[in-house]
Amino acid sequence: MAKKLVTLRIDEHTLQVPEGMLVVDAARKVNVDIPVFCYHPKMDPVGMCRMCLVDVGRPVIDRATGEVVKEADGSPKIAFGPKLDTACTTPVSEGMVVITNSDKVRAARKEVVEFILTSHPLDCPVCDKGGECPLQNLTMAYGPGTSRFIFDEKMHLAKHVPLGELVWLDRERCIQCGRCVRFQHEVVDDPVIDFFHRGRSLEIITDSEPGFDSVFSGNTTDICPVGALTTADFRFGARPWEMVSAASLCSHCPVGCNITYNVRREAKTGGNMVIKRAMPRQNEGVNEIWMCDKGRLGYHFTESKQRLSEPLVRKGGELVPAGWDEALDLVAQKLREAGSSLTVLAGGRLSNEDLFNLRRLADAAGGQAVLDTHMGGGDLAALAVERGAALIVVNPNETRLDKFATHTLRYNPGELLLTFGGFLESAAGKVFAEAENALVFYGSNGLGLQQSTYLAYAAAELLVKTGHYGKANNGLIPVWPKANSQGAWDMGFRPASNLGDQLRQSKAVYIAASDPAGDDPALAAALDEAKFVIVQDLFLSETAKHADVVLPAAAYTEREGSFTSGDRRVQRYYPAATPRGLARPDFIITAQLAGRLGVELPAAAALVLDQIAAQVPAYAGLSYQKLAEVHEQWPIIGRSDVYYGGTGYENKHGLGVQLPCAAERGEKIDLPAAANPVLPSVPAGSLLVIPVARLYDQGATLRPTALLDGRIARAELALNPETAEKFGLQAGGEALIAAGGWRVQVAVRVDSHLPVGLGLVPRSTGVPVFGPTAVTIEPVQVEIKA
Amino acid sequence: MNQLLQKYPQEIQTILAKYPADRKRSAVMPLLHLAQQEPGYITKQALQEIGEILEMPITDIDSIVGFYTLYHEQPGGRYHVQVCTDLPCALRGADEFLKQLCENIGIKVGETTPDGMVTIEEVKCLAGCHHAPMFQVQGDGDISYHEDQTVESAVELIAKLRDRKEAA
Repeated sequence: MAKKLVTLRIDEHTLQVPEGMLVVDAARKVNVDIPVFCYHPKMDPVGMCRMCLVDVGRPVIDRATGEVVKEADGSPKIAFGPKLDTACTTPVSEGMVVITNSDKVRAARKEVVEFILTSHPLDCPVCDKGGECPLQNLTMAYGPGTSRFIFDEKMHLAKHVPLGELVWLDRERCIQCGRCVRFQHEVVDDPVIDFFHRGRSLEIITDSEPGFDSVFSGNTTDICPVGALTTADFRFGARPWEMVSAASLCSHCPVGCNITYNVRREAKTGGNMVIKRAMPRQNEGVNEIWMCDKGRLGYHFTESKQRLSEPLVRKGGELVPAGWDEALDLVAQKLREAGSSLTVLAGGRLSNEDLFNLRRLADAAGGQAVLDTHMGGGDLAALAVERGAALIVVNPNETRLDKFATHTLRYNPGELLLTFGGFLESAAGKVFAEAENALVFYGSNGLGLQQSTYLAYAAAELLVKTGHYGKANNGLIPVWPKANSQGAWDMGFRPASNLGDQLRQSKAVYIAASDPAGDDPALAAALDEAKFVIVQDLFLSETAKHADVVLPAAAYTEREGSFTSGDRRVQRYYPAATPRGLARPDFIITAQLAGRLGVELPAAAALVLDQIAAQVPAYAGLSYQKLAEVHEQWPIIGRSDVYYGGTGYENKHGLGVQLPCAAERGEKIDLPAAANPVLPSVPAGSLLVIPVARLYDQGATLRPTALLDGRIARAELALNPETAEKFGLQAGGEALIAAGGWRVQVAVRVDSHLPVGLGLVPRSTGVPVFGPTAVTIEPVQVEIKA
Repeated sequence: MNQLLQKYPQEIQTILAKYPADRKRSAVMPLLHLAQQEPGYITKQALQEIGEILEMPITDIDSIVGFYTLYHEQPGGRYHVQVCTDLPCALRGADEFLKQLCENIGIKVGETTPDGMVTIEEVKCLAGCHHAPMFQVQGDGDISYHEDQTVESAVELIAKLRDRKEAA
């Protein structure tokens, strides 16, 4: 229900805003800047800093009649308060008059700034925030030229306090606004930083292990209104005014967070544009004004010294540098020879443009376009959260989501679909069936390709059965392991049921942004049997080491393109940095190869998207212009008033386009029949282990971020104490786990929250477990040194 | 092993029983007092253990310890003499009183007498402004107020405290 509107006046503006809105926000709507430090539009007001003082008047009401008292000229009589009010805690009311530009208000602001500055170090010349600092800006606007406080009585506090290894605190600069503490408590629900002591001794502390243990910690550096909190990554890295910004997307997961790369030209890289930091870019439909630390810190792969910078061709058993023409001519010749016996294997971090051109190349040869993934069901996502909804969580193990769930269901990995079968009869199922809108988010936690595919089928069936599809806010949303897995499905890539056989039988294998040999030793062996292997990548991956030709690809930050997020929003990103060496964008390399084979493919990103729009029905009508469209978002951030929303960026380069679901396009979806997944039999003495995802994984694009070394997932086996005891394993010890031809040493983690008789292994850590697997376990005897 | 739980099983159950099961964290203050009883301050381990009992983040508990001057972060004397020097008290001479008291006892603010008996601390409002200079004495599981003090009366009281042998 729409809220009642109230009419009020702010300075010379008369405006109508919804009842209950705070004066500070109402002023923002008409471009009246009310300075704030502690207030933030995404958090509850606290009125701590007093910077937003304004003069508030309300109409005088005659107590006898209840009528508004009129002045002689007929206008309502306004009574102002004896003192100024904080605009951040005062809701608007009918007939209110707010004055923000009087001498009285200006004097109050000056006094508040003077108080805040009593012990502020004013070390702006060496402060990372200098240049985009709310306190610096407001001091210039309202502060006194000189301080009346005695210099020698300034409090001096610690200036280099690590809150963990990712975020640093400068206690002297802190003005105690509490935005960081409130963000962690209210927005993230990771209460790992807090106030300690009182008054001038107040400081921010963390007691978590590791320090500031929250994957959203970097956001506190954006909303800190001074330079008290800085990321270890950007600290002393560059001055804000030296950098320009490039609109981009995070490439680490399918949420599709909108980000901005701040770049500058640096002499030490030969005058190249270098990324200095990643900042959130506002998209209220996706990431609002936040981003996680994986996205914020995980760009270092683009500048890694290990990046490939020139094509390599195998000569005399060695990969040696070659020119582009030589490499491409050789590849084209081999592709011609292979004919329809070509397999194109692509990873989900490629852009839609790359994937489309690769698919066209595979089609032209009559070959196969294969997606490297252990999760299925992308063809059903065309079935396309409201806050305050009921959340039903179905997982084999406890997760953080349980805390927010209204219903939590646990299942044994083998009985996943039984859980779905009886679901509608359960209490949670009734809530689901009766809900006006319902979404199913499904992932591959603990599942392999086959199980996740069946899961998608079962979820789709459930949505169709309950009528939750084909309309807004309803449907199926896959939580993919890669940023553009959805785009890969949409461009026609499908996982192979047996990738090993597929590789072995191919005369030519063209692999882009995928590392099957690094993931699975069995696939490395299969690759060696393939006749000719072409690898197009950022790094000399395990797979590239098995290649006959290696083609250096430009990182996504060095070119433009588009990704399709898990909820099927197509968004574009722009070039930020200078390409490494001779590296070229994937879609251009493919187009140049295709050209040699007599197939004409577009070699400009915008033109590729035009062709996608023409050939992929769901993408009809899309263009780069369309993806670049923006409309005003609330709250208004990123303008000159950095004090209001923080240093996140306003979105000027595109909010993206949500694809219509199949039903909206009038397409019918054939629902495949779901079957219960087949689980491996677990012989006596073996244990069923399942792969689980970790945010800080060991993926090729995250490993180069050295800052995350202490938090990155390691090869480990997590199990319940009872299960650990059964296998003779001790917490903190090591174990050898083995199955079908591999044996890996892992750390043992014991966790009483895990189900009995099940082991958890993080993906990407070198343990080739891609779905439920029966493994044998033996403890590693640790030698105790005398 | 949760030593706090092992040591005071009865007391902890009694405290927890006062609050609804889904609002366990309300019991944080009495549990902190309990944990402080013997060592005289809140140990890092006690923070962990209270966190486990109440399913509360350690940082939040630490923050409460930091906010209240009744909880001590470090080992101190058997008695804490806590002098308020907030503005109204200071106007009645509390800061000068504290300075002279320290000079007379021979220790600085925050320090403990060599016999380990008395720690002098400067604290925020004790709600006794009209009787300043004033302080409270915390120790032996008890708190007492001492108002309208002079340096002489305070020195005399501290001497008496230092003479005490057994817990009262």
